[in-house]
Amino acid sequence: MNDQQLDCALDLMRRLPPQQIEKNLSDLIDLVPSLCEDLLSSVDQPLKIARDKVVGKDYLLCDYNRDGDSYRSPWSNKYEPPIEDGAMPSARLRKLEVEANNAFDQYRDLYFEGGVSSVYLWDLDHGFAGVILIKKAGDGSKKIKGCWDSIHVVEVQEKSSGRTAHYKLTSTVMLWLQTTKTGSGTMNLGGSLTRQMEKDETVGESSSHIANIGRLVEERSDSGRQAAEGRSEERLSGGTQAQTTVAPSAAARDAFSLFFCFFLLS
Amino acid sequence: MADFEEPLSDEEKVRIAANFVTHAPPGEFNEVFNDVRLLLNNDNLLREGASHSFAQYNMDQFTPAKLEGYEEPVLITEHGDLGQGRFLDPRNHLSFHFDHLRKEVSDVEPYEGETALRSWRDACDTALSAYVKEHYSTGVCTVYGKTVDGQQTVIACIEGHQFQPKNFWNGRCRSEWKLTIGQSTAHVVGVLKIQVHYYEDGNVQLVSHKEIEESIPVSSESQTAKEFVDIIENAENDYQTAINENYQTMSDTTFKALRRQLPVTRTKIDWNKILSYKIGKEMHNA
Repeated sequence: MNDQQLDCALDLMRRLPPQQIEKNLSDLIDLVPSLCEDLLSSVDQPLKIARDKVVGKDYLLCDYNRDGDSYRSPWSNKYEPPIEDGAMPSARLRKLEVEANNAFDQYRDLYFEGGVSSVYLWDLDHGFAGVILIKKAGDGSKKIKGCWDSIHVVEVQEKSSGRTAHYKLTSTVMLWLQTTKTGSGTMNLGGSLTRQMEKDETVGESSSHIANIGRLVEERSDSGRQAAEGRSEERLSGGTQAQTTVAPSAAARDAFSLFFCFFLLS
Repeated sequence: MADFEEPLSDEEKVRIAANFVTHAPPGEFNEVFNDVRLLLNNDNLLREGASHSFAQYNMDQFTPAKLEGYEEPVLITEHGDLGQGRFLDPRNHLSFHFDHLRKEVSDVEPYEGETALRSWRDACDTALSAYVKEHYSTGVCTVYGKTVDGQQTVIACIEGHQFQPKNFWNGRCRSEWKLTIGQSTAHVVGVLKIQVHYYEDGNVQLVSHKEIEESIPVSSESQTAKEFVDIIENAENDYQTAINENYQTMSDTTFKALRRQLPVTRTKIDWNKILSYKIGKEMHNA
């Protein structure tokens, strides 16, 4: 019964307004408490920010750096609030995690010019997995408030030769846009989309795991950008039709084009 | 959360279930209902504690109801609620029973309702129907004439939707317009709502609403009805244009403020350089 209930719960989360994600998830867990852990690990929520007071840097919270009610900072590698025996990456993996955080901190700076990023890694049998998180809030210009959350989960399967690896990337982008203006009233466009891609890459000096993962994340974005530009053109040229269109279909077409553009550029 | 606290009572659980149902996106009531049914796992509790939410959902959404023998559907709204699951069709002077789960009409009977405002209602319905036919590809309108707080009021409800579940999206717009008829002026109040849901490998929703208030002079029924519908037409067109403009701004400005298409260098990242940068820095500090 539980598997079927989990399917229903996940289906429900894809239909209820994402603008109330946190309340929906909380109510769902109250309704079926036995699904709590499964839901927390499979439902993406808007990323929360915490401050690492030791290092003086912000970091992002998600299920992957959570142990009980504490969260591990990628900068100091410590749990807040402190706990005994919290889940930790191995020493070798922690070294890679430090490098990954530094690299994606720069990626974030170059593409987002602000915001917060965090990378958390964990060991697998024949490789490792990780999550790359980015959160950026808009400046509220033109009276539109926006916020962006990227969640890239990568699974790295190392081949026995050590010279190639298989990378599987699952990317979720959450986008929240709100505006209140005289002409358009209150307008709230928000939610998330998830896409997957896989690739084999050689691993070596000039193509370390982090470089390979970084290029994968960037490549997905670039092909998305080209597709997005194509879609924008499409939407703009179709937009000057006579006013005899049903508002929902026009709004729908535009909403999806727009959201898709945003999403593909994660 | 409920792990470490008392589990919720049946009453609290069914309240959550009912709340989920009222938030089903347009065209997805059945899917949400089935999900909730399996999660609550108690059909009696669901029926007894949540059936008010099924009715609430249909009234909120302005669900169209088809009556046999009549071409145009009638909308299910709070203004036509006659109690005991019966609703009013003010255009054809009928009342009927509506099954909120099956969305089916039965037990149709003649019903006179408030006759005092009939000619005002008819004039507005005629003018509005022409507007809806021209501007909505599959729109439906239902117009009521009622005395509200001692004032003669015409309430016009418009609904249009597109359900495309095979393409993973559904959308609906609703507008509710009230014309309060005074001695020399009539007061117009409108609420416009749009909701669109896209869910292929995700969940994206647009939710929007706008309120309008205006006054017009009162003359003949047909002239006032015409001016009422002119206001509606202008307001709904302006709203749609403004939404499109917002999309444009979001695309041009808001998005760029969130993420650049390329770094300032105008080329993609040299990842080896990025990785050696930090190491160099550390060595320098050591």
